[in-house]
Amino acid sequence: MPEIEGSPGSSMHGVTGREPVLAFSVASPMVHTDRTAKFDLPVDSEHKATVFKLFSFANPHMRTFHLSWISFFTTFISTFAAAPLVPIIRDNLNLTKSDIGNAGVASVSGSIFSRLVMGAVCDLLGPRYGCAFLIMLSAPTVFCMSFVNDASGYMTVRFMIGFSLATFVSCQYWMSTMFNSKIIGLVNGTAAGWGNMGGGATQLLMPVLFEIIKKAGATPFTAWRIAFFIPGWLNVIMGILVLTLGQDLPDGNLSTLQKKGDVAKDKFGKVLWYAVTNYRTWIFVLLYGYSMGVELTIDNVIAEYFYDRFDLKLHLAGIIAACFGMANLLARPFGGFTSDYMAKRFGMRGRLWNLWLLQTAGGVCCLCLGLVNSLPLAITFMMLFSIGAQAACGATFGIIPFISRRSLGIISGMTGAGGNFGSGLTQLIFFASASFSTAKGLTYMGIMIIGCTLPVTLVHFPQWGSMFLPPSQDIVKGSEEHYYVSEWTDEEKQKGMHQASLKFAENSRSERGGKVASAPTPPENTPNRV
Amino acid sequence: MEVPAGFLVVYLLFSCFVASSYGVYFSSLNETIIVTATPTQGQVLKAGEDQITVTWRFNQTYRAGTDSAYKTVKVKLCYAPISQKDRSWRKTVDLLKKDKTCPHKIVARPDTASNNSFTWSIERDIPSGVYFVRAFAFNAQDEQVAYGQTTNAHKSTNLFEIQAITGRHVSLDIASICFSAFSIVSLAGFFYMEKRKAKASQQK
Repeated sequence: MPEIEGSPGSSMHGVTGREPVLAFSVASPMVHTDRTAKFDLPVDSEHKATVFKLFSFANPHMRTFHLSWISFFTTFISTFAAAPLVPIIRDNLNLTKSDIGNAGVASVSGSIFSRLVMGAVCDLLGPRYGCAFLIMLSAPTVFCMSFVNDASGYMTVRFMIGFSLATFVSCQYWMSTMFNSKIIGLVNGTAAGWGNMGGGATQLLMPVLFEIIKKAGATPFTAWRIAFFIPGWLNVIMGILVLTLGQDLPDGNLSTLQKKGDVAKDKFGKVLWYAVTNYRTWIFVLLYGYSMGVELTIDNVIAEYFYDRFDLKLHLAGIIAACFGMANLLARPFGGFTSDYMAKRFGMRGRLWNLWLLQTAGGVCCLCLGLVNSLPLAITFMMLFSIGAQAACGATFGIIPFISRRSLGIISGMTGAGGNFGSGLTQLIFFASASFSTAKGLTYMGIMIIGCTLPVTLVHFPQWGSMFLPPSQDIVKGSEEHYYVSEWTDEEKQKGMHQASLKFAENSRSERGGKVASAPTPPENTPNRV
Repeated sequence: MEVPAGFLVVYLLFSCFVASSYGVYFSSLNETIIVTATPTQGQVLKAGEDQITVTWRFNQTYRAGTDSAYKTVKVKLCYAPISQKDRSWRKTVDLLKKDKTCPHKIVARPDTASNNSFTWSIERDIPSGVYFVRAFAFNAQDEQVAYGQTTNAHKSTNLFEIQAITGRHVSLDIASICFSAFSIVSLAGFFYMEKRKAKASQQK
């Protein structure tokens, strides 16, 4: 049974390890190019783009890409807009350290749930309305900052604004409808990384706005409230642009998408079962909490840290904090690149070692960040930490496609939720209590990162091995086919539902690394629907 | 030459981890200045509206000539312990350059022998809290050499409260409601219009 091409989780890019990481176009002859369609980019038979032209705004594909990542970027700006202004807000609202910490936890918790709901919303309304609904309905929550009087109001508003981070789902979903599955990995990875940069941009933007508004004559306690209008306007503007310039499908037809969405390609219960019972899923949920999670945590605490510890001016603390988030531009793709590079020589074992090294190095740098007393050293360790953590995020998603073929979508979603959960947890433990300083909190968080990255040593693939153990020598159990086909019952196998997994298993043989020759593809060309 | 270079690097790194501890310590200062302020114990003042009049003079019971080193006097508004609780950014530290107890400057004056006084309008960026007033005397090298404060050594008497402005304005609230309404209405409008267009094209 052919699966719906382009549905979230069906991306095949990068999963074989043989495709170049930075594939800007589909070189495979198996993807049939539709030459009758009149689009600016070459498209396949479903009119999805097969080429990723970064600096084009051509309708509909590249325009969708830009609308999509900028919307995600905007929600990051709104969600973390309060963080660099905390030194002012805490005086206005008379906040204690736990108030500030709890509000930070609230800001990342809301999206754990909204991301889960967003998938269903995109199925019902389409990604364009999903995205527009979310950012235009969260614009009032941003404007609500002007009403906040005390700690509970502050926490509530930050919680509500945090829901908008679910644009991650609409972003990835929307691009699955526009880009061929062979390049969707790069497209989605770029969009995710660039969206995350919003957490850095806001640290730069908000203090500058605050200073300008203060110079224009407002008192500090009013100026920060006015500054919040700008992220609110950005939300509204992006929502309108998405509605006027965007379209759900390359052909602009929403009802077709709705028809497709009704076709259940697999039973949700089964897919969930195989995701939940695979222990590797949970290890990666934990791990992502200590790469993406700590990145979100730092977005919330680092500006205040530099302001207090080194007595910097607000906008200077903001500039330094911004550098952390902006490193996403290159650091996250770098992690994916190193993962693929290690896989070429050492296969999956290389990917696991790469992830462990990057994430642990990030943890060590976080530890040092809390210890140093000199500003240049603190900035250095912060940047090294950002590269380590963000590259680890990229490397994580270099491994996730191999955990399961059947449940890739849910595992990706659970991992993403784990990131937010890790952020809430670390903020709660280390930055919301008055018993130790922020500096100590950073050091302890570094130790926890190192500790919580150790479980990656337990991830074992019978066909490829793990960090310390070689692959199984058993002929049956040590094959890729056995691993991926074991997710299907005999009944389902009789119906032929496991064919896609078989094909995937064959292609994944390159994860053995080294000079192992992959099995040749069968002479009959399979259609591009894998 | 490798050993000295390596040693230098280690030394530099080590020195960056160890806090620099030079500077004036509060515990080394004598309370030789008598400071009084107009707010009484427990009085509540409003930021942006009320005023504080501070007077200070050298305590004559100390040896005359002690104050010849005083060049300037800086009077500051300081947080009482209750306003520092759970707020580590207002922490009291003995090393004065790291101390965050007294961040708000009231006035700085060259030191004169006669009674000094100053009337200060409480600025609008002073946060809500419980406060006292402290004056530092600085020498020619701009180091603290003496102090005086309106409260006792435990900072438990003669404390007054300041209520901050909210920072909210009716005009801001109205603007906020207008923009929020615009966002929701335009979203609903788009949705409705597109549904109508779709229905109309279906009927064709």
